[in-house]
Amino acid sequence: MLPQRESYSYEMIRSELTWVVGDDHVQTDCSEKLAHSIDYYWVPEVWHDRGLKPQVPTFVVHPASAEEVSKILQIANTYKIPVTPWGGGSGSQGGALPMYGGISLDTKRLNKVLEIDPVSMTVTAETGIIMQQLEWEVEKAGYSTMHYPASIGCATLGGFIAHRGTGVLSTKYGKIEDMIMSMEVVTPTGEIIKTLPVPRHASGPDLTQMFCGSEGTLGVVTKATMKIHPIPAARKFHAFLFEDMHGAMVAGAKLMTSRLQPCVIRLYDNAETAKLIKRVLGIERNGSYLVFGFDGEEAIVDLQMKKAVEICKETAIEDLGTDMGQAWWDHRYKFFYPPYMFQLPQAFGTLDTVATFANIENVYWGMKNAVKEQFPQATFIGHFSHWYDWGCMLYARFIIDNPPQDAAEAIALYNRIWDVAIRAAIKNGGVINEHHGVGLKLGRIMKDLYGPAFNVLEGIKKTLDPNNIMNPGKMGFQGV
Amino acid sequence: MNMDKYLDVINACRFCFMCRHLATLAAVTGKEADTARGHALIADRIRMDKTELANADYIRTIYQADLSGSCRKHCVSSYDEIGLKLALRQDFVEAGLAPAAVSALAKEFTDVQFKVSGNGDMLYYPHPCIEAHQPEIAQAFLSVVPNVKVIDGGDCGKVLKLLGFAKESQAVAARFQAAVKASGCKTVVVSNPAAYDFLKSDGAMDGITVLHSSEVLLNSNLGSAAKLGKLTFINSDFLRNYQECNAPMDLLAKLGCEVERFGTNGEDSYACGEGSMPGIRLFPELTRKMVAHVADMAKRFKVETIVTPSPFVKHALTTYAPELKVLAIEEVAAAVKL
Repeated sequence: MLPQRESYSYEMIRSELTWVVGDDHVQTDCSEKLAHSIDYYWVPEVWHDRGLKPQVPTFVVHPASAEEVSKILQIANTYKIPVTPWGGGSGSQGGALPMYGGISLDTKRLNKVLEIDPVSMTVTAETGIIMQQLEWEVEKAGYSTMHYPASIGCATLGGFIAHRGTGVLSTKYGKIEDMIMSMEVVTPTGEIIKTLPVPRHASGPDLTQMFCGSEGTLGVVTKATMKIHPIPAARKFHAFLFEDMHGAMVAGAKLMTSRLQPCVIRLYDNAETAKLIKRVLGIERNGSYLVFGFDGEEAIVDLQMKKAVEICKETAIEDLGTDMGQAWWDHRYKFFYPPYMFQLPQAFGTLDTVATFANIENVYWGMKNAVKEQFPQATFIGHFSHWYDWGCMLYARFIIDNPPQDAAEAIALYNRIWDVAIRAAIKNGGVINEHHGVGLKLGRIMKDLYGPAFNVLEGIKKTLDPNNIMNPGKMGFQGV
Repeated sequence: MNMDKYLDVINACRFCFMCRHLATLAAVTGKEADTARGHALIADRIRMDKTELANADYIRTIYQADLSGSCRKHCVSSYDEIGLKLALRQDFVEAGLAPAAVSALAKEFTDVQFKVSGNGDMLYYPHPCIEAHQPEIAQAFLSVVPNVKVIDGGDCGKVLKLLGFAKESQAVAARFQAAVKASGCKTVVVSNPAAYDFLKSDGAMDGITVLHSSEVLLNSNLGSAAKLGKLTFINSDFLRNYQECNAPMDLLAKLGCEVERFGTNGEDSYACGEGSMPGIRLFPELTRKMVAHVADMAKRFKVETIVTPSPFVKHALTTYAPELKVLAIEEVAAAVKL
């Protein structure tokens, strides 16, 4: 039973927390609790929109060191109260929502850049730092993290690590789990541990990767050492139009399987091309828009670009040139600002799914047809945005312009669409998901996705977190 | 309610995180409530339930907002998150819900009379900032541009506007306008960017041109400032984010200074809460935190001398980080006058 505000047990816990971080850094006011009750997940948004009472944390605590995090977790273990880590709060899966109240552990005071190592080309930083601030610090030293997600301005480094985030240049520079060297973690029982300092070794299983994607269920990542890169001499883009998504997919896959090294490929299906590419970039065409880019030494960029253009010209219906490619890069974040981004009263969800080239189109059509057949009121659109040697990611979305006004009905419909679409994706060889994480939204899918292997994850969770204080009820793990 | 005019802002910002990195106060408090999103959520709650207008936590949060304008400037859709917060403050005042400290401060800035002295075609308005007596700034300007009339007496209405006392602000502005009109001058030159912003927006005067001091100094007879060594520039939020006035940087470039932009980027505000000037009186601990953030960066990046076109920035930095060497842009000009 969580302490109620007007109770002596509440005051006892609050006192102990303030002794750790100071009075200023334990918030119980309505403003801060309201702001911590809603992340980027549609469900709490619609809950708020309908004027319903928000599910708020009991305390918002802002630690400034791993030691303070450790002490907070020890207090939480003593009183057996849930702790939900909160970085930027911009996750789309409800992972940071304090669904059982308790402590919302806001990491943003852990925001220092500790070291930039120009010899090994790494940066070590506290994980509450906003990614854009980290990138600016690294750029001032003459380097780049090359991590450019749309959420760069709002998400923290720890947030990306927590849900295995990715950026627009992932095709060359990798996802966050490819960028990380090592980390410091405060485990649920309060131990401060460090993973091995390099990511390639044969000294047993990799703890760094185990904590990547754990979404605050296995502890709090407090420091990380990341790779950094030189600022490339050149970065160039080119765009093509294909008759349909299949033609563009064949070209995109060939870019990857021919082992060219684009920093980005992005393919918009006909529906997104007609809707978003027109609206954001002002390019009005019927077909599928494909953009790609290369960066690095200019001569190498030009050579790779020449080969990529040749591949696309084999099947494209229009060469949109470099300007319409550069326009995409220049406006790459604009898609996510209001009013360009979908917003209430619309219901919308992003069904990001990753699969091999052999399966990805089946995943696309499986999801699209399932949604179309069962939910005619929903529009299904998608683009393919993170590409690998073996496959790519489908960033599919469904949109309902006029969902039910009643919050319960709207959420029920929303969940039904998710279930239908996800099961269609899994049936066709897709993995839900690629970079948004699991959180509250997809927790119920984890056992189906993993099968018996989920018992291994549950065993790790129970071992590290015997009192189940860390972000309970997320990722398919047991709630309170 | 005044906030009803900003329904588009509420709807856009309440679930948007895109400008979080530019939330000046949140950068030092770590608080979600101190972001444009946090403020829009509060406004939305009040919109849905008018009794929440009296929520003391919400009132305090809205008055603590730094109003740097960085979020609005760098939003691709330029949603007026500043206008929303000022409208909310006005709603608090009109409902009799302004905190006692706010009302007391407003009273201090309501009883203002203006007087004009000197001779010249231009009217110089040196009133520096919220509380500081900074005669060195006016002296520096007047040493370069001596033949001007001077108008003084207090704030021209900006502080009241920031506190949500709109009617009182307009009454003071009317008195200021009458004094300007009586002076016969057609150009008003101001050193304080807050006043510059006010006199170009809510307090605009028909037939009167308003210039920032750096715009006048740009056309003055000045020598090279290279001898001053490396200068690091902290801009004014009112000049950069509200009025897009580039004259201070143009002036420093013309003077041949070795100038570096402060910090790591050109989007963050380092103006320590200039946008909500009265905050230094109402919530000095927050100003102190913002100054500490700037001082920490100054130390890490080995900043020698800071130059700023904002008297408020100079006042805040020298008050809470006296180890920093800070010059107003007028002082740089005065040091190299020919």
